[in-house]
Amino acid sequence: MTSCRVLLGALALAASTLSQGLDPAKLGQPPTDSWPTYNGDYSGRRFSTLSKINTQNIGSLSLAWIYRLDPGNTSMGGSINSTPVLINGVMYFTVPDHVWAVDARTGRQLWQYVWSSKGGIHLGNRGVGVYGNWLYFETPDCNLVALNTKDGKERWHRQICDLDQMYYASVAPIVIKNHVIVGVSGDDLDIPGYLESRDPETGEVQWHFSVVPKPGEPGSETWPNADAMAHGGGMTWVPSTYDPELNMLYVGTGNPQPVIAGKGRMGDNLYTESIVALNLDTGKRVWHFQPSPHDTHDWDAVQTPVLFDGEFNGKPTKMLAQASRNGYFFVLDRTNGKNLVTSEFVKTNWAKGVDAKGQPIPNPAKEPQVNGALVSPNQAGAVNWPPPSFSPATGLFYVNASRAFSEYYIYDESEKPEGWGGNDRGGWAEAMLEAIDYKTGKIRWSHKWEGTGGRSGLLSTAGNLLFAGDPSNNLVALNATTGEPLWHANLGASMTNAPITYELDGSQYLTVGAGDTLYSFVMNAK
Amino acid sequence: MVLGRSSSREEWSEVIANMVAKGAKGTSAEFGQVLDYLTNNFGPKKVAAGATAAPPRRTGGLTQGPNDKHVVDAQAAARGRAIYISECITCHGPRARGKGDNTDLVRSLTVLHDRYGNTIGPFLRKGHSTQSGTASSSFTDAQVSDLANFLHQQVNDTLRSGPFSKVLNVLTGDPKAGQAYFNGAGKCNTCHSPTGNLAGIASKYDPPTLQQRFLFPRTANFSRGQIAQVKPTTVTVTDANGSVSGVLDKIDDFSISLRDDSGEYHSWKRTPDLKIEKHDPYAAHIELLDLYTDKDIHDIVAYLETLK
Repeated sequence: MTSCRVLLGALALAASTLSQGLDPAKLGQPPTDSWPTYNGDYSGRRFSTLSKINTQNIGSLSLAWIYRLDPGNTSMGGSINSTPVLINGVMYFTVPDHVWAVDARTGRQLWQYVWSSKGGIHLGNRGVGVYGNWLYFETPDCNLVALNTKDGKERWHRQICDLDQMYYASVAPIVIKNHVIVGVSGDDLDIPGYLESRDPETGEVQWHFSVVPKPGEPGSETWPNADAMAHGGGMTWVPSTYDPELNMLYVGTGNPQPVIAGKGRMGDNLYTESIVALNLDTGKRVWHFQPSPHDTHDWDAVQTPVLFDGEFNGKPTKMLAQASRNGYFFVLDRTNGKNLVTSEFVKTNWAKGVDAKGQPIPNPAKEPQVNGALVSPNQAGAVNWPPPSFSPATGLFYVNASRAFSEYYIYDESEKPEGWGGNDRGGWAEAMLEAIDYKTGKIRWSHKWEGTGGRSGLLSTAGNLLFAGDPSNNLVALNATTGEPLWHANLGASMTNAPITYELDGSQYLTVGAGDTLYSFVMNAK
Repeated sequence: MVLGRSSSREEWSEVIANMVAKGAKGTSAEFGQVLDYLTNNFGPKKVAAGATAAPPRRTGGLTQGPNDKHVVDAQAAARGRAIYISECITCHGPRARGKGDNTDLVRSLTVLHDRYGNTIGPFLRKGHSTQSGTASSSFTDAQVSDLANFLHQQVNDTLRSGPFSKVLNVLTGDPKAGQAYFNGAGKCNTCHSPTGNLAGIASKYDPPTLQQRFLFPRTANFSRGQIAQVKPTTVTVTDANGSVSGVLDKIDDFSISLRDDSGEYHSWKRTPDLKIEKHDPYAAHIELLDLYTDKDIHDIVAYLETLK
């Protein structure tokens, strides 16, 4: 009840705190008794100030509860890719078409909501956003659905994309002030990507940011013609981050389209594969930085743009960092998008160098070729969507990375390929957990995993711990400073989301998803 | 991977190969079972002559687009192609992707929103110019349906699962240079010989498969619908009690297990005192990934292709 009263008090105080009990001013002080938004707070750091679980006592961590999904008499796509949102002791999480509410102390189900689907790719769903008593999630058949958090009853649903054009929806909505930020997915036909702000009460569009410009707009000079722009891709399928002081929303955008065969879209293809800063209230672009100009390898630059403040070259600096799917790590000044650091976090072979803006310069010889081009990383990338973590305690940016090769081919030699027109085949990969020094971009430590695949999201804590999934179904706790593995539990399936942690009744919990099961561990209060 | 589609055994084997490359785990026998299952259950569909395609009922799955999307009847599409060639191709191009300022029908919302002619039909009935001068409003329902089938087929052909998703020609290198690399910088002749274990290799595999097999031997053993045996990594584990060797079963930061020659299973907790020696039979291929140029790769394919 206490946390309930706090939430109500906050509601009365300021409209900005109406959303999910997360005061945007607390960007640097995320709450400890909740996990109110996809990344825990708006910064995307996935760092918890909790330290009741720490390097000294991690061996005493015990299992609190297990919750195994029962989708009922419906088909269910994917595993638990969603990061649970936790408010007032209740955890909300999803798989495509399904939302569950469970008691965060016991794992007991409170309700389950099932959406009747009209189709779309059921690959994964990244979770929910909450505004007061309303919960929002996206469905593979292109709907934004609002539910009552109390009982899971539907309030309304709104179409947010066109299923016939093979869009689908998978991202977790982010609620900031009175905006529900929604993104879209879809790489099958050549369609334009966008990000929208929706009214939390009505679901109506407040603003629409088109990732690809229209003729005559800034960025249009990086496309050959209006047709290429109208079909240029740039999906928005990983949640954005937000700086309340600057009122800027930071969006990572996906690959241009056609995905592989880029002959009909010569140029840099802005604002695909970019980190874009938008004004939260208008959706207008403030600045951009492009990790992969004219990408032809499906290397979405959607990875979480992580926000932190710290010292850079002796000055206090507001920064944004991204470990991008193309294998490069970037640190930007998030007030203006100016590049501070560019480095490779795995060895790659596709760029000729870095330009004056800090952006890699693609080597045309490493674009897909009719007779094949050996490219590293592969299509799955040096990282993919699973969230990274930044610890202000260690100053290290953590990524669950892969170094991988595959052979990229062009299948459609025409002047204007459509759809795919090429792909990569085969491959080899190795996997490692890395800690990057944000000041230099250098790897402080790298822990090579045995085997490949099974890359999870990450969580770092003030207990000097880093939690990660390895390729062998283990949930592993490592010393965040040194990378030494300290504890593990084999979950029988790969970890499929990123861990969260929270404190209830004096006990710190750690909850992870692996396949169709949530596992909650606890360090019980003494 | 996208289920809910029909693919040949060869196409499914490629899908599996890509999954393995991205980290899917299993034995050759297990992947063989998966291949059998996919081919049997999601293999080429046989449509009876004159059959009207009915939308299959789908719930969820990894299928792109709507559940009630137009399911193409290949025979109707073939009839539609003939109509398209006589009435439409001049303006809309051979693959319906438009020409000049003429509409790209593959990207047309009228086509993408259509089900069995229900938007294409009304569009044509309003009147649209044709090559022969025949009034488009005079097209019969059957002709509209045939055209709709053809246009939906063109849309499906652009998908990554489409029939044009095939390697075209990797045979562009210089066989002499490939032979020199094979015997020189690549040190391929350390383990391989054109008259020994590579004799006749080009008769066994097509050039794209040859290319994949030397680049990624662990994932490229999927070809022509067959799943070949992959050589396992072997390991010797030594502790205070002595050494045990065998085929590596599982290894992570915390434990290791193997099966010895007699099939006996052994496992250990990993400690600083436990000595582990791994032998990956494909290690030399992996090292080459950082050394090859694309020219080297194309030259090697050209050389291997001479080994008929």
